[in-house]
Amino acid sequence: MTTSTEAAISITALRKSFGETTALDGLDLSVAAGEVHGFLGPNGSGKTTTIRVLLGLLHPDAGEVRMLGGDPWRDAVALHRRLTYVPGDVTLWPGITGGEVIDLLGRLRGGVNRRRRDELLEQFDLDPRKKARTYSKGNRQKVALIAALASDAELLLLDEPTSGLDPLMESVFQRCIQQVKRQGRTVLLSSHILAEVEALCDRVSIIRLGRTVESGTLSELRHLTRTSIAVETAEPPHGIDALPGVHDVVVEDHHARFDVDTAQLDAVVRRLAPLGVRSMTSTPPTLEELFLRHYGDEQATGKNVAS
Amino acid sequence: MTGTLRLLRFLLRRERIGLPWWLLGATLLVLVQSGQSQTLYGTPEALARMRETIGSNTAAIAMNGPPRLLDSIGGEVVFEVFTFVAVVVALMNMFLVGRHTRADEESGRAELIRSALTLAGLADLTVGVLVFAVAAGTGLPVAGSVLFGAATAGVGLIFAVLTAVAAQVFENTRTAYGAVALVLGAAYVLRAAGDAGDGALSWASPIGWGQRTFPYAGYRWWPLLLPFGVSVLLGAAAVVLLTRRDFGAGLVPPRPGRATASAWLRDAYALAWRLQRGALAGWAAGLGLLGIAYGSIGNSIEQYVRDNPQIADFLPGGAADVVDSYLALTAGLSALLAAAYGVTSTLRIRAEETSGRSEPVLATATSRLTWLASHLSVALTGSALTLVTFGLGEGAAYGITISDAGQVPRLIGVALAYLPAAWLIIAVTVLALGWLPRPAAVLAWMTVAYCAIVTLFADSFDLPGWTQQASPFAHTPGVPLDDLALTPLLTIALLAAALVATGYAGLRRRDIAS
Repeated sequence: MTTSTEAAISITALRKSFGETTALDGLDLSVAAGEVHGFLGPNGSGKTTTIRVLLGLLHPDAGEVRMLGGDPWRDAVALHRRLTYVPGDVTLWPGITGGEVIDLLGRLRGGVNRRRRDELLEQFDLDPRKKARTYSKGNRQKVALIAALASDAELLLLDEPTSGLDPLMESVFQRCIQQVKRQGRTVLLSSHILAEVEALCDRVSIIRLGRTVESGTLSELRHLTRTSIAVETAEPPHGIDALPGVHDVVVEDHHARFDVDTAQLDAVVRRLAPLGVRSMTSTPPTLEELFLRHYGDEQATGKNVAS
Repeated sequence: MTGTLRLLRFLLRRERIGLPWWLLGATLLVLVQSGQSQTLYGTPEALARMRETIGSNTAAIAMNGPPRLLDSIGGEVVFEVFTFVAVVVALMNMFLVGRHTRADEESGRAELIRSALTLAGLADLTVGVLVFAVAAGTGLPVAGSVLFGAATAGVGLIFAVLTAVAAQVFENTRTAYGAVALVLGAAYVLRAAGDAGDGALSWASPIGWGQRTFPYAGYRWWPLLLPFGVSVLLGAAAVVLLTRRDFGAGLVPPRPGRATASAWLRDAYALAWRLQRGALAGWAAGLGLLGIAYGSIGNSIEQYVRDNPQIADFLPGGAADVVDSYLALTAGLSALLAAAYGVTSTLRIRAEETSGRSEPVLATATSRLTWLASHLSVALTGSALTLVTFGLGEGAAYGITISDAGQVPRLIGVALAYLPAAWLIIAVTVLALGWLPRPAAVLAWMTVAYCAIVTLFADSFDLPGWTQQASPFAHTPGVPLDDLALTPLLTIALLAAALVATGYAGLRRRDIAS
């Protein structure tokens, strides 16, 4: 086991290009042992490439990559006994059943926890006797998830593991990851499902165009975001739009709706109080908005990087 | 009905790439055979000699059809080519109908069946017209050519309707294909047994019905009623079955598989064998049957060559030592097929890689070396196995005709002498996979094609000697005609080992594609 002081994953200035396309352009990532780390970014931002480097499938062009105290490229086989992996788009061998795939992948890694496997099959409601060619995308995803979660690996690399799962299964997945977390194991969870990251992750790294743009705990990242306020006051709420940090104000009669930078929240509330607040709702910042702020401009420029 | 028409137009558009190749394939078979037969047996004397040797050869009759066809040159063409054309046309119909009835149920099922069967009917009509045109165009009598074309279309129609029925019975397309392929195999075997015997069993086979119209050799029209009548009945059955099954389901639910992996499925080697065992069994059986076909005419070959001096040009030893040169030629041919098997098996590595299926495996404690070795172990032992089944089949069939059981071990040994050459082609494939993964498949098949061309045609095309020096087959002693020499075989095997090692060095340092 790695000690909790050493980082489970440590990446500095990682670069990787495929021909003309730059997939990773100086990416940094640090995942502490025992934490669930959210790895966020739009499609094509380089999440999958990073994970494939960590798996020793791709050779980095430049940069420092350490994982579980080893070199992912040179020490691949030894490291792979200690980790497990779920790809975002699971392809299986069409003529082999789900149950067989789960057992085989477990054995290839170094052992299957039989009891855990059967529990997971039940929780995820998967029929292990069906040939993989008859599984839907969601069911293929379940096969890979069960294979990974049935292991005792100390590190879980999960690349958008819940794409294709319905909301019920999504919550089963979240319970499983919380259990993994309690056991002190490390998870790197790449995702663009923000509720999932908010529910599970201790810390988050946000990447874009192959670079890390933000990294920290969720509360550290909230300073970047805005709170949405809807308020009804006794006096008509005039002059709100003149306050610093207030955006998108709509005033109708005694009602006002606006967004406010979280840093300016206190000043705005003080300004509202003398008007006689009859009702007020505030919506906390979501990672969705955080995303929009960071990537709002990228959608216009189009996607020019590989995933 | 307008819906059916609209759907038909859509299906035609989707088929415009694939279908022409099937039609071309069937047409070319007839074209080549008609030309070749009229060259070799154009005179009544040549045809009579042919009838004498082949007409009394049970194996040749089992492979081709009833000897009565040999009464005329047109019939001889039908005799040689009909079973092959029938198989091609049956498969064309199977894929055509299977793809469209099962693939896309959303568009209205009854209309889908109607339009898929109409499409198949149009394709069969086209095949019939093309066969007629090629046969008549190469100088065969017109009336017989009409019968030839109609009989071919009849076989196609039967298999189109059979596939429509199978698609109702089974839930997934592969199982339906398996069932239809089984019927096709049975149709071939039944007519082989029937034609070799008293002919009764041939009447249980759609291929047999076609041949029993005896185009150019007796002209019987009424057996055509069988395929067309049966097709109407089966088509009605498919529609009835359609109304009895649930949307998306089959009448027979798929068999559930294992809930847990058996104890032996525990490492990369077990996985590679599990993935490839079906294909290997198919190739081994195919080469075994080819061996039986070749072996069974080994004894007639000497007389055959004396009758047809042109054939001797194709044999490495000329007219002398005719049987041994024939055995050397067929063994070399089987080794080319074993090499082709080895290439398909080795390219599986690339298919696993690009499909993303290798990724979960390589993310476990499976090294790249183990991953490569697991699939390569199938390619290397599999190519040896196909040569053994070929030698077994050829030895058994030849041994029976000359009453000599010793031919079995002898011809297995002969076939295995060509194994290092097949391995070298596999090694070239590994080299390409390591260093040039993208064009690896093209490079590997170009290697096979080069070896095939220089091995089979160098002498008859008078290619200069140096052109074949790069082929491992040129350096393999042509046993049993030549003496067995171990040095060249060992050299080829060592070279293969070196190429595999170099290929692995490339595979170890390159990125794995996704």
